[in-house]
Amino acid sequence: MHYLSIKKEEWDKTIEQLLLSYSIFATMDNEYGMDYEMVSPANIRKISYNKAKPATSLKTFFLPVKENVTSSRLPDKYRIILGAPTCDIQGLKLLDEIYLDKDFNDIFYRERREKTILISTDCFEKQEHCHCTSYGIKPYAVTDADLAVIRMGDLIVLRLITAKGEDFIKQISRPQDMNDQIIESEIEKAHDSAVSLLQSSNEGLPDYKSTGKLVMEAGKEIWVKYSASCVSCGACATICPTCSCFLMIDKPEFEKVKQLDACQYPGFERVAGGEDPLFDLDKRFRNRYMCKYVWKPEKFGSIACTGCGRCIEACIGKINKNELFLELAK
Amino acid sequence: MLNTKNIYKPLKAKLTEVIEESPVIKTFVLIPEKEFSFGTGQFIELSVDGIGEAPFTPSSSPLVKDKLEVTVMKTGYVTEYMHDLKPGCHMGIRGPYGRGYPVESFYGKQVLILGGGCGLAPIRSLLYALEHIKDKLEKVILCYGSKTASDCIYKPLFSRLNSIDKFEAHRTVDKAEPGWDGSVGVVTTLLNKINVNLKNSIAVVCGPPVMMKFGTIRLLEMGYSDDQIYLSMEKNMSCGLGKCGHCMMGEFFVCKDGPVFTYNELKNTPDIWK
Repeated sequence: MHYLSIKKEEWDKTIEQLLLSYSIFATMDNEYGMDYEMVSPANIRKISYNKAKPATSLKTFFLPVKENVTSSRLPDKYRIILGAPTCDIQGLKLLDEIYLDKDFNDIFYRERREKTILISTDCFEKQEHCHCTSYGIKPYAVTDADLAVIRMGDLIVLRLITAKGEDFIKQISRPQDMNDQIIESEIEKAHDSAVSLLQSSNEGLPDYKSTGKLVMEAGKEIWVKYSASCVSCGACATICPTCSCFLMIDKPEFEKVKQLDACQYPGFERVAGGEDPLFDLDKRFRNRYMCKYVWKPEKFGSIACTGCGRCIEACIGKINKNELFLELAK
Repeated sequence: MLNTKNIYKPLKAKLTEVIEESPVIKTFVLIPEKEFSFGTGQFIELSVDGIGEAPFTPSSSPLVKDKLEVTVMKTGYVTEYMHDLKPGCHMGIRGPYGRGYPVESFYGKQVLILGGGCGLAPIRSLLYALEHIKDKLEKVILCYGSKTASDCIYKPLFSRLNSIDKFEAHRTVDKAEPGWDGSVGVVTTLLNKINVNLKNSIAVVCGPPVMMKFGTIRLLEMGYSDDQIYLSMEKNMSCGLGKCGHCMMGEFFVCKDGPVFTYNELKNTPDIWK
């Protein structure tokens, strides 16, 4: 792995300079936890590093909740997103497959994607429901993000990942090649410790493929049982880094507004004639898991659940999908 | 080269004529602002300005590029507004979308078409396409059922079809009204009256879900194999682009992978008739 390093103080100055030509969003601690904030010279020092996922998933930067897709202007400014965890970076891969599909390329998504420098951060810790390693994802990015950033005391370490990331780094003169074996081995140790923490706290949780098999074969009873406290609020889908279903809304002058939607809302599949395959709550509930673990993997190369655990945290009915899968795996 | 087209933007089309087919079904004749071509069985998203859009398979010939006909049953929010539209206004078109009927694979074969209700709309487009290539086909048989004789759309179509060489058309009604002297019974009863060479035939089924289900079951009983039966599926195709998720049926996006599927492709997918 190719690492560069820069003093934290210098890095903060670099970010301040980058603000002249980029919009920058970074993960920061706030009174509720951690989330993306727009970076300004005043809050650069609040940027958090090496922490587990922010409250919002990365998809919100690429798929706005609501967007006029006939008259909106395409973004003209490049931006930097700093601090995205690997689970979200992996989630973007599925969105890329859907929205950058060769037949129907979504120009809004594409422009945002192309004009974004993605800087991931390594997770040196885990949150209660994090389970990325169960689905084959490491808590640090070695692919798909442009760069990864790690804070090691008063040093910022950058891992080069893509050519786009390398080109970006060339604009910044300050980071130097890191030739410090001790720091590199400390990073490796932190990686190993995060992985073993994730693995030990998710022991017994079936892997992605096995979950698909279990979900497919599960009887109605389990879906009825676990959906009993579901109020169809759609929070699980809204917060999910890979759920990207939407609704088209018509406005005068043949304008179209695309708004994120969720299969957990009643009537999602209802047709004008009245047929509604997902009318029953348990069927609707099951649909999301079938989609994530069975249907999407059949259709796409990327996984549709990255183990971020946000759906568990967001559920007001206290539904824990991992408890469901552990019960199925018994 | 990267495609810079905005996939969500509709093409405007002028509504030039509204044909009343039945008390609840109208055909909208549209002249798109630009030439618009589609393959038979593909669908479009047709919008009423500022109200909404819905998926329809055009009922006109795929060979006509400057005019489009869409037959619409008044059945929901958007179609109610559509039925109030008068010639002269503009509608929006997106598409064409999806996989239509693979007519070239029908060459040399007998084509049996089983239709019900408003399902005759896409079938009419298919019939135009088949008429154009009739020299390459062995035979085309249409079996069509409607609730009553007055619910039957495109009435002149039947006598015209029966006058075309290699074509035959049969009709039935679920309920006979005074003056009806034709067949009475569900559409599958017509299958007892026809002669098909199973080995060299394909069947197309298009209509309401219940008719599609029993039509398919009957065709299988007759000896049609799973991949000889083509189904035109109807789901909530909202974006038409394989993205919005509303028309997912198992792993398929009906809008992109369909709407025409062979039964073989769908037989293991649950709830296809809902």
